[in-house]
Amino acid sequence: MKTKGFILILLFIASQYTTAQNIDIGGYVRNYTGVMFEQGDFSILQNTLNLDFTTSGDKVALKANPMLYHYNADSLSLTMRELYLDLYFDNFDIRIGKQQVVWGKADGAFITDVVSPLNLTEFLLPDFDEIRRGVNAVKFDYYLGNSTFEAIWIPNFTPTETPGAGSIWYVQPEFPVMPTFDWSKSSVNPSLENSELFIKYAALTSVIDFEFMGGYTWDDFPTMHVAKQVDMSTGAPVLTGLDITPQHHRLYLGGGSFSTQIKAFVLRGEAAYYNGKYFQTEDPFAVDALVEKDYLHYLVGLDFNLGNVKISSQFIQETIMDYEEGMLKAENENTMTFLARYDMLRETLHLELFSYIGLTNEDALIRPKITYDFDDSFSILLGANIFVGEEDGRFGQYGDNSMGYMKLKYSF
Amino acid sequence: MRKLQITTAIIAIILVSGISSDVISQDLSGKQIIEKVYNRETGDDQTSDLTMTLINRSGSQRVRKIKQFTKDMGDVEKSIMFFLAPADVKNTSFMSWAYDTDKSDDQWIYLPALKKTKRISSDSKSDYFMGSDFTYDDLGDRKLEDDTHKFLREETMDGVDCYVVESIPVDEDYMYSKTLVWVNKSNFIGVKKEYYDEDEDLLKILSIKDSEEISGIWVITKSEMKNVQKNHRTTIGLSNVQINTGLTESKFSERMMIRGL
Repeated sequence: MKTKGFILILLFIASQYTTAQNIDIGGYVRNYTGVMFEQGDFSILQNTLNLDFTTSGDKVALKANPMLYHYNADSLSLTMRELYLDLYFDNFDIRIGKQQVVWGKADGAFITDVVSPLNLTEFLLPDFDEIRRGVNAVKFDYYLGNSTFEAIWIPNFTPTETPGAGSIWYVQPEFPVMPTFDWSKSSVNPSLENSELFIKYAALTSVIDFEFMGGYTWDDFPTMHVAKQVDMSTGAPVLTGLDITPQHHRLYLGGGSFSTQIKAFVLRGEAAYYNGKYFQTEDPFAVDALVEKDYLHYLVGLDFNLGNVKISSQFIQETIMDYEEGMLKAENENTMTFLARYDMLRETLHLELFSYIGLTNEDALIRPKITYDFDDSFSILLGANIFVGEEDGRFGQYGDNSMGYMKLKYSF
Repeated sequence: MRKLQITTAIIAIILVSGISSDVISQDLSGKQIIEKVYNRETGDDQTSDLTMTLINRSGSQRVRKIKQFTKDMGDVEKSIMFFLAPADVKNTSFMSWAYDTDKSDDQWIYLPALKKTKRISSDSKSDYFMGSDFTYDDLGDRKLEDDTHKFLREETMDGVDCYVVESIPVDEDYMYSKTLVWVNKSNFIGVKKEYYDEDEDLLKILSIKDSEEISGIWVITKSEMKNVQKNHRTTIGLSNVQINTGLTESKFSERMMIRGL
């Protein structure tokens, strides 16, 4: 509440500067209808109103981006995606308020891009401008030539949002016995001590673009502390209960990214090293069925043109350092992404194929789509999300959720 | 997002031309004429509003509006442009650093929906810009040595005395087999250009519709590219042109791409 009050005061101050300036209003209205192939059920019936209010001057700017979602059962959901104030100075800028921060050079993967948590209630299917959650933060940027030093302070931790029970994207964990959940430690108390801090140094040069980053943050996903209840009355241990306590833990991470052009190719890379991340294990001697390990997440990607087709491909690896037998997550998990895009009819018809390919679990999410621009404001998109492969894979587990969908969009 | 790749420098090549009229010679070769067209004075910096109108064979129109800034820094020319319309590309920005050497241009695009600045390849200049009839190369900084230039004749075009020069690409796989350009003898502005396809059939005609002298430099303020084979065309209009206003180097940075106008 203190943060909200602080933002309101800032908005009031900003209004004193901006009352004489015009407010620029843009956005879109969108209908999004999806049907699952197997059951024929609607996977989504959604209408969206996205409004983007901006007003800016030489010294200050203000942005508000409310989004209103209307679902099939007349339910309305209002989200303030962003609401912030920009203050401009000669060599530095300050942004205060709810904001989305995007770091790194990866496309469709989140490696050093960890400042804004994700909304995974519809898995990875929303557009990437909708999949991030805004965070209340103070962002400071200092500029020196073509380089930027950035520091971000987030006073209250916002976790990644996951699908709730009842969602087609919720995956029911399997337990050998009925567990009992203790949610008392599942949230992080907002306090100065519990705030998050990120720093980044970035530069655009004539040879290469690069970023170095570091973060003192919380794991966006809660760690599941598991206490086992064992009955020894028969002589042999028998598992009789599980007490599960979800709890977020602190993480330190450092990393960087780069992008450079080599002849007709754009080569990209990105890596993040996490210090002390918790992983679940089946080791019976592990406290709370957890082990703490360092973790490396990296990517290399290549963008190029094949005739008039734009191609982009990335290789992504997640590696657990000092791996131990019994850990539930694989030591190495490899994924590829592939994007092909072709524009035709004077760029009114767009064909696109994007895929995540799970190399470790031999599964994939294949996303073909066709977009036709009736005019500069109105477009129709026909697409499909096809999940294939092993049922225990990240994508294959949603094999029943393969769907076709249509999006009608009016931009203004 | 390659469709948004454009350099203000290019638009300047076609649309901004100026040279003093006292250098006219009757004995210029084709290469010398084109060299004078290419090496004209354009000022140290330039700001303008660009309106690109795509007109199809039925006459319906689509309009793109851009605010563009260019600065010549000696061995590098930096450009930045901000897309104002249509709505779905509004606040997108594009920055280009074009070098005098053989080094490829550096190009970046800022996508406001993704909140990301991406380095993009400056290759594939045969692509059409934003669905228009202009390719990136039509709009771009084509080098003198990329073609073999031949003076054909002198000709009067709409009352203007012109040199007519034929340019044949050195690269045999280039998208055009040849171009013919009509150059105003008095100021070395190209007033008309014909583009021939790989079968040596006429493909497109670029016509200069209007020009103004601003701060002592001739600026073409209205032009049209017509595809005669598909019968659609694109007009480009420049307005609010300002030259040598003292744009600072900091204008051409990622900070400004993100901040916008």
